Amino acid sequence: MKFMVKAEGGTTVVTLDGRLDLSTGTNLKEEIKKVCDKGANRIHLNLQKVEFINSSGLGSLVSVMKQVRLKKGRLTLSNLAPYVREIFDITQLSNVFEIHETQQEALMSTGKVAAE
Amino acid sequence: MSTFETFEYLTKSRPFQQVFDDVNRLLDKENVSREERYPFVLAVSEALTNAIIHGNKNDSQKKVKVSIMVNEKLLSADITDEGQGGLERIRHRKPSTPKDEGGRGIDLIEHYATSVGYVQTPSGGLKVEIRIERKTNSVVEE
Repeated sequence: MKFMVKAEGGTTVVTLDGRLDLSTGTNLKEEIKKVCDKGANRIHLNLQKVEFINSSGLGSLVSVMKQVRLKKGRLTLSNLAPYVREIFDITQLSNVFEIHETQQEALMSTGKVAAE
Repeated sequence: MSTFETFEYLTKSRPFQQVFDDVNRLLDKENVSREERYPFVLAVSEALTNAIIHGNKNDSQKKVKVSIMVNEKLLSADITDEGQGGLERIRHRKPSTPKDEGGRGIDLIEHYATSVGYVQTPSGGLKVEIRIERKTNSVVEE
């Protein structure tokens, strides 16, 4: 899996590209730890290029969410393919994560909250 | 048309990508549509992960056997580990909570599969038998 990290205003946007499973989930957790260690606490994950995710991949996202919340930060997700969204729904993780249709919508939401 | 193939993977090879590629190659051969493919590949991936972590307990010398059969009516996978006590583990598993990092694999398999069987092998390993009935119009037209 590849990660593209970019600062967008006050949010760190990480675009995931590839399969998210047991092996690549570890890489994701390491990548987010690096981002958090640099002081970022508003993180957005764009999942548009995630071609496959399983329960281990979901587990790594839960771990990332805990990591960000520990820093009193905020994690948003966007651009879930229909089959990825379905897995979030089946496992009821749709109720746990803040999921937006688009990255822009997520960043606007994060910006609004930060401004309040 | 029907395709059947059995693969063996060493736990130490962490064969997630390899299994993904092998299963997809068979599904390509049988022109299985993207819509049908995803649940099947997901179910196999979940059973494989469980076989490596919970069955073989990451023992590098132990193997996982994956048998795939695809025909016009059925997508079928048997995933067998070389561990011990897998059947008991399945029987006594606890439901996951939203904040758990694990424990959703079996739920996903059971959600997508038409049927799932759990069989203890003579050596004490666990064989997970996943069957997904195919939709009649799901074969990709040439």
